[in-house]
Amino acid sequence: MELLTHWIGSIPDFAVPYALAALGLILAERSGVLSLGAEGLMLVGALAAIGAQLAFGATGVALVLAMAAASLVSVLFAVLVVWLRINQVIAGLALVFFCQGLTSLVGTLMGWTNQPVTSAGPIPLGPLAQLPVLGRLLSQNAVVYLTPLIFWAVVHYLQHTGSGLRLRAVGENPQAADAAGIPVAAYRFAAVVAGAALVGLAGAYISLLSTKLWIAGMTGGRGWIAVGLVIFARWSPWKALAGALLFGCIEALIPQLAAAGVQLPQYFVLMTPYVFTLGVMVWVALGRRRLDGEPGALGEPYVREERR
Amino acid sequence: MTKATLAPHAAPKAPARRQPLASRRYTLEIRQQMSMPRQALVLGLAVLAGLAISGLILVAAGVPAGELFNEFIVTTLFDLQSLQAVLFQAAPLIMIGLAASIAFRARFWNLGLEGQMIWGAIGATAVSLHEIGPPALRLPLMAIAALAGGLLWALGPALLKLRLGVNEIISTLMLNYIASNFLLHLVYGAWKDPKDSFPYSPQFRSFERLPEFFGSSGMAVLLALLAMALAWWFVQASRAGLYLRFVNASPRVADAVGVPVRAIILGTVLGSGALAGLGGFLIAAGQEGRLTQAFYQGYGFSGILIAFLARNHPVAAAVVAALVATLFVAGRNLQVFYQIPFSMVQLIQAIVVMCVAASDFFIRHRLRRVAAD
Repeated sequence: MELLTHWIGSIPDFAVPYALAALGLILAERSGVLSLGAEGLMLVGALAAIGAQLAFGATGVALVLAMAAASLVSVLFAVLVVWLRINQVIAGLALVFFCQGLTSLVGTLMGWTNQPVTSAGPIPLGPLAQLPVLGRLLSQNAVVYLTPLIFWAVVHYLQHTGSGLRLRAVGENPQAADAAGIPVAAYRFAAVVAGAALVGLAGAYISLLSTKLWIAGMTGGRGWIAVGLVIFARWSPWKALAGALLFGCIEALIPQLAAAGVQLPQYFVLMTPYVFTLGVMVWVALGRRRLDGEPGALGEPYVREERR
Repeated sequence: MTKATLAPHAAPKAPARRQPLASRRYTLEIRQQMSMPRQALVLGLAVLAGLAISGLILVAAGVPAGELFNEFIVTTLFDLQSLQAVLFQAAPLIMIGLAASIAFRARFWNLGLEGQMIWGAIGATAVSLHEIGPPALRLPLMAIAALAGGLLWALGPALLKLRLGVNEIISTLMLNYIASNFLLHLVYGAWKDPKDSFPYSPQFRSFERLPEFFGSSGMAVLLALLAMALAWWFVQASRAGLYLRFVNASPRVADAVGVPVRAIILGTVLGSGALAGLGGFLIAAGQEGRLTQAFYQGYGFSGILIAFLARNHPVAAAVVAALVATLFVAGRNLQVFYQIPFSMVQLIQAIVVMCVAASDFFIRHRLRRVAAD
């Protein structure tokens, strides 16, 4: 019983970073920009959050600054892929390694590595937090409560606003969108930067609210898993949320099993998220379901002067 | 930048006079061709720009500006010991760069180079630990095991991509994390050296290490250059290499004219994995003399960088790899003398890639002033 309570209670800590990062990626990729840089932007968010928390001591400020930092770095990526139209895979990979190097350097030089921080604690949902099994689940930090709202807002934007429709048009067929007078480059630029803010928030969650300290490379491939999750979710935000919850359930189970005294080989346990991601990718491919949802122009730079 | 094409036709014709700069119109054109020397010039300028930005970061991080040139060029290349270290470092980087180059030629984003290196090193170490074969044949057997290890680790993502269309970027990266955890499982567990408490395998015996040949790194460099020659023959002279160019240009057209596209892609990717596995072997048997826990770190991206800067050409890849090796050694010197973390090397590489990628824009496009209408 204890085990179940702790397991359910710790799911959001694992699921929310995946969910927010995947949502940020979906926002950018719906505009047709293949965003492989999530792993790097999460690191930027994670480091910036710890730095801001150490400087200002306010969790809200730290989260906002982390989002701003990730957006700022993503401007570099946006310039490369939207304006200079370079290969999006190369630019994404370079961004990841740029961020890995930069965060490690800044973290060391500023002395932020391994500095424990105290951030805002959980907010119990009144009497609901006293419920037997679900009690701990209903006593989470503010970002967990905000996550469904952020999802709703992004889905509403994409599906029910004119601007969201134009953004999707840019991702599906930039030629047609351009002919219709939609500023393709502006939409892509904005989508990349806005998506990066969410990815940065995901990183900030890991460092500031989950582990409460910064270690170089601490995201450990979660950004790449989020990229896989977006493919698994076929670029649908709600499916991505469900996928993130599934991943969160599995990852949250591992420490609980160890606490319950189940002896598992440590390094095989650490492999689980990656094996699971790979398995999910194969399963989706094996399903031979109609593979829809992928933005039509994903990964293709738009060059008006080039005839197709 | 593309306002000109949208210029309202109803606009009154302006008298032909010199306009102020702000209202001049520029249009972006696709450049059909740029001469090779000019391309090289643009590329060189981009690399210099990247290094200049990196230099500024280093100065900001506390390296005295006057020392930069000294640190990077003089200390690294004009000191015999450092030059040895550069050659030492260059051999595995050449292997990795070749591995990336040929995979990218098959339009396969093999980002699993690190995992394939790990399995190469594991294969070589397994042969050493289980004492397979007579001592005289031990080293070749280790190389073959490394080749097989890297090849098999690349087989999975290649088949998944060809059969099921699974995105190879994600699958190869996930396999890297799986391989690195398995490596830790070995060096902290069954393969741990019983003599001390560090996470590495027992030392290889002397006949299990690359023999001396013009210094300690000569053999590794020779093997890497052999691999380069083989890769050059494969992409430039062999029939499969010709097919590979078709596949690279357009898989659909290649398929339509009867090129065995899948077989070519599969073979090339397996070759890429085998080269990466051999890279792991060069580090295990040439540098470390044992299996260590983090020998592979940073090679994956360097391989991609080398292939990108070398435009996937094997000989150019070897040259770029030597330059990257210089950067690695200089980075270690910086670490020792100025406490700059080694991740600076990664940052410099990423900045150079971004600058070179951006310079592509100027090779492929040109700004042209259009006459006012």
